[in-house]
Amino acid sequence: MTISRRQLLQQCSAGFGSLALASLLADDAIAAPSLSQDPAETHLPHFPAKAKRVIFLFMKGGPSHMDTFDYKPQLQKDDHKQLPFDKPRVQFAPTGELLASPWKFKRYGESGIAVSELFPHVAECVDDLCIINSMHGTNPAHGGASLKLHTGSDSFVRPSMGSWVTYGLGTENQNLPGFITICPTLAHGGTKNWSSAFLPANYSGTPLGNASQSSEQARVKYIHNAQLSRNSQRLQLDLIQSFNNKFLDTTGPDLALEARIKSFELAFRMQTEMPEALELSQESRATHASYGTDDPVTADFARQCLMARRFAERGVRFVQVTHSNSEVQWDQHGDLRKGHVQNAAEVDKPIAGLLRDLKSRGLLDDTLVLWGGEFGRTPTCQGKGHDGRDHNPEGFTMWLAGGGVRSGIQYGATDDYGYYAAVDKVHIHDLHATLLHLLGLDHLRLTHRHAGRDFRLTDVAGEVVQGIIA
Amino acid sequence: MSNKLPMLTPRRRPRLVQFFSRRLLLTAMSLAILVSVGTAVLSADETPQKSNRPNAEQIRFFENTIRPLLASYCYDCHGADVQESELRLDTLAGILTGGKGGTSVKPGKPKQSLLVTAIGYRDNELQMPPDEKLSDRQIADLTRWVEMGAPHPDSGTVKVAPRTTLDIAKGRTHWAFQTPSKPKVPRGGPADSIKNPVDAFLSAALTEQELQPLGPADKRTLIRRATFDLIGLPPTPVEIDAFLADESDDAFGRVVDRLLDSPHYGERWGRHWLDIARYADSNGLDENVAHGNAWRYRDYVVGSLNQDKPYDEFVIEQLAGDQLDSGTDVSLRNERLIATGFLALGPKVLAEVDEAKMEMDIVDEQVDTIGRSLMGLTLGCARCHDHKFDPIGQDDYYGLAGIFKSTRTMESFKKVAKWQENLIALPEELARKEKHEQRISEKKSQIEDRIAMAKGKLAPPTGETVPEDLEKRFPQETQDELKQLRDELKKLEKSTPVLPTAMGVVDGDIADAAVHLRGSHLTLGDVVPRRFPRVLCSDTPPSLPSGSSGRLEYARWLTTPGHPLTARVMVNRIWRWHFGKGLVSTIDNFGLQGQPPTHPKLLDWLAVRFVEEDWSIKAMHRLIMQSAAYQRSSGFDSHCSKVDPVNQLYWRFDVRRLEAETIRDALLATSGTLDRTLGGNLLAVKNRDYLFDHTSQDKSSYDIRRRSIYVPVIRNHLYDMFQLFDYTDASVLNGNRNTSTIAPQALFLMNSKLVIDLTTAMADRLLDADGTRKERVTQLFLEAYGRPPTEDELTRADLFLTQFVELSAQEKEDPQGDADITQQAWQALCQSVISSSEFIYVR
Repeated sequence: MTISRRQLLQQCSAGFGSLALASLLADDAIAAPSLSQDPAETHLPHFPAKAKRVIFLFMKGGPSHMDTFDYKPQLQKDDHKQLPFDKPRVQFAPTGELLASPWKFKRYGESGIAVSELFPHVAECVDDLCIINSMHGTNPAHGGASLKLHTGSDSFVRPSMGSWVTYGLGTENQNLPGFITICPTLAHGGTKNWSSAFLPANYSGTPLGNASQSSEQARVKYIHNAQLSRNSQRLQLDLIQSFNNKFLDTTGPDLALEARIKSFELAFRMQTEMPEALELSQESRATHASYGTDDPVTADFARQCLMARRFAERGVRFVQVTHSNSEVQWDQHGDLRKGHVQNAAEVDKPIAGLLRDLKSRGLLDDTLVLWGGEFGRTPTCQGKGHDGRDHNPEGFTMWLAGGGVRSGIQYGATDDYGYYAAVDKVHIHDLHATLLHLLGLDHLRLTHRHAGRDFRLTDVAGEVVQGIIA
Repeated sequence: MSNKLPMLTPRRRPRLVQFFSRRLLLTAMSLAILVSVGTAVLSADETPQKSNRPNAEQIRFFENTIRPLLASYCYDCHGADVQESELRLDTLAGILTGGKGGTSVKPGKPKQSLLVTAIGYRDNELQMPPDEKLSDRQIADLTRWVEMGAPHPDSGTVKVAPRTTLDIAKGRTHWAFQTPSKPKVPRGGPADSIKNPVDAFLSAALTEQELQPLGPADKRTLIRRATFDLIGLPPTPVEIDAFLADESDDAFGRVVDRLLDSPHYGERWGRHWLDIARYADSNGLDENVAHGNAWRYRDYVVGSLNQDKPYDEFVIEQLAGDQLDSGTDVSLRNERLIATGFLALGPKVLAEVDEAKMEMDIVDEQVDTIGRSLMGLTLGCARCHDHKFDPIGQDDYYGLAGIFKSTRTMESFKKVAKWQENLIALPEELARKEKHEQRISEKKSQIEDRIAMAKGKLAPPTGETVPEDLEKRFPQETQDELKQLRDELKKLEKSTPVLPTAMGVVDGDIADAAVHLRGSHLTLGDVVPRRFPRVLCSDTPPSLPSGSSGRLEYARWLTTPGHPLTARVMVNRIWRWHFGKGLVSTIDNFGLQGQPPTHPKLLDWLAVRFVEEDWSIKAMHRLIMQSAAYQRSSGFDSHCSKVDPVNQLYWRFDVRRLEAETIRDALLATSGTLDRTLGGNLLAVKNRDYLFDHTSQDKSSYDIRRRSIYVPVIRNHLYDMFQLFDYTDASVLNGNRNTSTIAPQALFLMNSKLVIDLTTAMADRLLDADGTRKERVTQLFLEAYGRPPTEDELTRADLFLTQFVELSAQEKEDPQGDADITQQAWQALCQSVISSSEFIYVR
């Protein structure tokens, strides 16, 4: 009789293991005399990786692509006119006439890519960006679209992409979680957006704070004991471990009980490692200034970006940084001019700071940065005063940087107004397939058996977008 | 249960089987033709016959317009060289056969043709050509061509091979689709001396492997095991002593009976069922609004288990309680309405803009849930295509889906959509409300009368203008009086009693559902009459009434004594919850992808026995817990472990970690702070209000001392302690929770406020009682582990307390009083005891 490697993983993954760590687990498997190992699964990554880790800058609410990274000259000409073609069959809400972007665009860098004046700092980094202008999704509501983007499914409970990635690759740092999400929004899918669903629990994202809190308060839960000194706690831990060992004697060799003993030691180490990673005061004043932690407008998001870099540096596999306040940050059905100016101001400098910092430390080569919201916005207008845009999953922009993508390019295009993705369309499933590919994972082979069938992040879809790979 | 119910698959008739299978096959085929699965069987039937061969003009249209169009936009991926999704469009046979998604063109029926859907770009999941939409003209041409009957030079000459043929007859040979027979209890060898049939069956395989199972567990271990198992709480020292003192043969039987009679039994086993019912107090998914009345369903489940309601009745009530005749018994009617919450509790995308999609998504969630929970079948897999592994056709899926489409689950689909709630008021509540409303109308007419009276007394208006406010001209006294009356009215209106409602279903518009090609409501195939999966019925499936949804018939069919799945699935669940693993290890999947039972005869024997014992769950507990297998020691044996490392043969009792809620309940109980109140609502948010709106403000609160089953289950934001310890996801059913061991669990035990608070309470209790250090440590071990400490443990604990106090004294610059340090030391000791494996595990 054999224990499958999968069972083994589920029963006794003590810390933040992964498929790739199966061999490590096998060493630990004293009690499993005959391990049946599936070589196809244990040899991950499937092929050489271009990126080792991901930082996902999630712009909650849906930033407008026509106002940021998808310049539409025709739209600028046709302000107030009617859209000359059909709107989608399913819309979130009715919209009216065309609304030209209130912002000016300028060409930047050697690539000469046009970026609006909302993002002057990121624009300076445009030669490092790989801008996908032809993204499209399926769901026009925040919840569905957010779940689709994070998990690949808007109607079923599925593991988050960060969970899939850590499931496939594990973490490079055994003392920190492999998947961390900083100040995530609790709305519109909430924890589902970082949960491991049917994958083992250790692949769930570890949240630091949430969107209603300042990033200064973002901490991992239960990481600190307010009562006991480190020495007292060590004394206590020794007692616990002696009890644990005694219990193990009565049951005989047992993988889970042995894993449990190790998990206490790991937890004890994490208590030191995690606060250290969050100790932003270790950074130079120049670094702080480049991210913008010293400016009240940018401070909150800047701290998040800086944390992300420190986690990336320490080998955390997937870091998500969410830009969301207590409102649906980028969701300007009205007050577009005011809202988008404020939102962009909060993130522009920190993002540019992060990109430059990663680059100067040589981290950008193998760190894949992904930027975007759950959808874009309509070129047609909504609300009072010709100053709002509706949700638009039919065509929008996301960009990537570093980690093996071509830089200084725009890939795909929307139609003349930015309503529909039109050329070289990239579906969210395709983005997922490509992201896994860059990490050395074949989206068709990264599977998990659950409820009678194998599941993947891309379900039955997804094609790797070769055109953006360097 | 009436005789009119369909015959189930005949069993033990080897001669007839062949005869039957051919007949069944034929029936299945004709059925397929009649009801249409959208497969090629139908296409073959509709392939243009020679009589209506296309005319020359139609052929010209195809050659000049359609073929070039297909060639330039489609052949690259669906031509001779490449066939993505197994579809080729360069031959008529290919077009009609279709790809993985089924036939691509249904001649004459553009609305049922996937090709037309794809080029229309209306379905977000199916848009072709993928890079750019065809021009309006091109789309119109292709649509017209399909409308014309898809004229092609090969029309009438090609034979279309069916893409998939579900072999229902062969499917019926799968073990789980055959009615269980009651096998003979094994005799001979050691089985002879075995009293309990469970052991007789298990012993056969053990003997075969020449394994000697371990002996019985000691009494302390056994009572702890049984108490956690049946009521989810640790045994108290008094209960343990009573068991130890009882030297009769039936001592353990009496413990089991006592536990089964405890109201906490329903809380423990009800919680198991709630995993199956994907119970939650909030919707989760996109719009996380409160299921303000879900708790009524939870209490119904707890109550039903405490009453030992027969399982068949329990199932029928949950599927069709609204359809049962409860006569004039209002409480019974209400209870049954509440039971249908089972169908309503699923997560729903309430802001889905596409209402037709929302409706079918909800139906799908229901079909998937009833499939896996009650039948152990992944029916949901057949939503978009025939089931890939099981003999369940897409038509079978829509046959069942029709039943739920005919069921009213939603009050409104308009975003944010609202689920159905049924009124469950008692007559006296209705009367109270009626009386109240009468008082309101009385008050209103009193006001009107007063106004009319005052008006009559007023002098006629002078001049041309009518004063804006007539009442301002009333005498002050009258104005005051009116104000008072109106205040009273407002008060009355505000205090109007709200009548209780419960999430649940009733019948809606009765209609059969159409097959949704590729699962999309935008390309509908033929309508399938409401019916049950063919593989589980005889060749003439019963027709369902046209005046009701068919849920009641479905529930009755499921609970027919010989149904191959219902009893097997449930006894396997019961076994799983007792032993930590099922006889069928894939608890929620008895289909072809599921694992076969490790002990098929035992499973069948239990299933038949379950029905014979009137579907009594408590009788099953007694039977299983009286077995030697259940009472075995959890010790180690190197030989057995070598032969059977995963203990598939039950040579010992597996050591198991407690579930999340049991860990919490045990902590509360051991600390002496558990509030044992039964039932009721603890959700602080009003029905349909947001738990989490866009603000990310956390409105959930877990500062509760009640048992874990009453802690609100907030989807998308489960209590993190629960989540850490592998609680169910609460959005999808799960009969087989995982047990992970991760570092954050250790962090929780080491640092969380809950653990520190509870262990402080434990320490205080120990310190408050008189006694020596040794006596206190002994008491702690008795309460936490159900046993006294060993000498070694006493020494260790003693040393720890001393060292802890010393260390604290050294570290504190400003030493606090001795009492504080002592209390902290005891708290740290209690925390160590409850953090260690012996507390968290049952052996």
